[in-house]
Amino acid sequence: MTWPAKTSSAEKDSLRRLVEECFRREAGLSVPIPDENVDLIEAGILDSMGWVSFLRAVETASDAADLGSYLNERSASFTALLSALRDSSSIPAAPARSELLRDPAPQSNRVVITASSFAVGSRIIPSEDVDRAFGMPAGKLRARAGIESLAYAADGENEVTLGARAAQEALHAASCGAQQLDWIIATSETHHDYPSLAAQLHSRLLARENCGALDVGGACLGLLNALAVAQSLIESGQAQSVAVVTADVHSRTLTPDRVAGEFGGLFGDGASAFLLGGADAASTKEGYLLGEFIFGCAGQYAAAIQVSDAKDGSLGVQFDGEALSRAAIARMEKVIGSVEVRSGIPRSSVGGFATHQPNPRLVALLAKQCGVSPVAFPPIARTCGNLGSSTCGAALHEILRGASKQTRGERRPIFLASLGPGLLFGGGWLTPHENKEIEN
Amino acid sequence: MTKLLITEITRRGPAFCVIGLQREKEKIQSIRPVPASANSWLHFPHQRGDILECALAPFPAAKPHIEDRTATRGFQKSSSVHEAETVTYLRKAEMANSLPDLFGCAIHENKKGAGLHAVPQDAKRSICGCETQNLRLELYANELRATLALPSGEVLRDLPVVDRDWRDFIDAALAPGRGANRTARLERFLNSQFHYKIMSCPHHFIRLGLTRPFHDLCWLMLDTLFPLPKPEWLEEF
Repeated sequence: MTWPAKTSSAEKDSLRRLVEECFRREAGLSVPIPDENVDLIEAGILDSMGWVSFLRAVETASDAADLGSYLNERSASFTALLSALRDSSSIPAAPARSELLRDPAPQSNRVVITASSFAVGSRIIPSEDVDRAFGMPAGKLRARAGIESLAYAADGENEVTLGARAAQEALHAASCGAQQLDWIIATSETHHDYPSLAAQLHSRLLARENCGALDVGGACLGLLNALAVAQSLIESGQAQSVAVVTADVHSRTLTPDRVAGEFGGLFGDGASAFLLGGADAASTKEGYLLGEFIFGCAGQYAAAIQVSDAKDGSLGVQFDGEALSRAAIARMEKVIGSVEVRSGIPRSSVGGFATHQPNPRLVALLAKQCGVSPVAFPPIARTCGNLGSSTCGAALHEILRGASKQTRGERRPIFLASLGPGLLFGGGWLTPHENKEIEN
Repeated sequence: MTKLLITEITRRGPAFCVIGLQREKEKIQSIRPVPASANSWLHFPHQRGDILECALAPFPAAKPHIEDRTATRGFQKSSSVHEAETVTYLRKAEMANSLPDLFGCAIHENKKGAGLHAVPQDAKRSICGCETQNLRLELYANELRATLALPSGEVLRDLPVVDRDWRDFIDAALAPGRGANRTARLERFLNSQFHYKIMSCPHHFIRLGLTRPFHDLCWLMLDTLFPLPKPEWLEEF
């Protein structure tokens, strides 16, 4: 259903009723309907996450797509929302899911994740301590973002040590020696030194000299970028065994003297590692088969988060948390929808969602918007914080670990979805794999 | 008389090379006792960790083997220390974190094959200890070779392991009485459990040495690897 370009008075009333109904659902029946021009966030009627949830409820009820893009730079008021609803009326709504599910993509990829691992900084800090360190009221991160604790790197830990630990554990789990690797692909949003992270991991792992070392960017989307590159290398026959490693140590960059707590307080330190090989290789007994990847960049949200080195050596951070939250939910929901369409796998049959987790409340909201159980999203950000490119990796590892305890028949597909500044987005899927030829 | 804590016993061919630590006031330095007429011992009945009393005479050794001393009398064991304590003393002797600091000179890659070497005239010493970020042992034609990463991140590839205890362990692992597929079993052990046994050991430590000049080059060797191999490890593979 789409709204006509010009809305009549009756339709305006209908829109207003819809908005009011969604507001009551979000804020509760006891909260009176505010004046049209009141900024709901500034007035303390809703917090930023509540506003995002309210917007998504309006989008769902009205079939309006991406209302957030019409609300940039505008107040969080009924007036702005109603105006955005009218502005969005000329945009055709997304096709219904049932239409899109008719043409699933063929499963042509033959690359398997054979082992995985995850490592976090060894200092676990209650979020209240982080609140205090950033000069925020104790309990703010827990109440506003849902973060209970954060994993911070200890003195001897950094991206290389955490990444190497995760990679060693993955190699051990796969009974694979580092000298069997053909490529090490690393990604990090915090390691900017040279030799690069991939090169340092290559040395640390004692990979063969003719094993390649490649760094890929994308910040929180880095894992998906790296997996896609690894998949291409294996499919093209240029590699048989590839290690993908993520490692992020935010606690040394996003410090209280450089950034505000509402931004810096969200992040923790961690790493993940995945071993990929050909599905038909004799050594590949079981694992998860990589499906296709989809990628893109929604430039209209580019200003929502920007981080740069300032001339005076400080860190320039532009962070519109509310706009970014709206964009994150809307875009990840879209990505999940696209993955569903491309894979032909209904989201209801997915065993786990390895997504970026900006904060736990957004994850809960994403689950609600997608109509899936929040249990399907491993609670990484709740206990470790936002781990950058390693969030998605940690979630994927947890899902794979859970699946390894299940019988083969019980294992279900996995969806990947993530975002990076830009606003980069990407998604993909994995399906259970077993090498029946080896079994026989 | 000099008291020497034996820290290294290396083996190449039939002969043994021995290195010990000597304390001089607060300084602990490496000393290589050699027989009067050769650079190595055909028979050396003592163990690592033994503290030996001996008489040593200065010896006009060619660079870089400045640690050489002629043993003018036999060795007399006075006591011994355990493995972890030996490493504690080694950590107070010659140490380096990076490749050029190992022997005080540039280290060159073998252009024609495996291994690394130094130019004898450039090297300031022939033995040095170091911590490692990682270590891998591999078999090449039943000989043990090591690849390791220094704390600086520099990687040293394909060094021959000449540590007597490790060479004895490999010989025992590959003995005909050990049954079928023993090379493959040993390789699997070195690739998996070995790594955790070695790297997780609190007194994991290595010493690197330089060979005597050969065709005007001194080649790097892994002289000592702690922890030393345990006989019971042979039961694990």
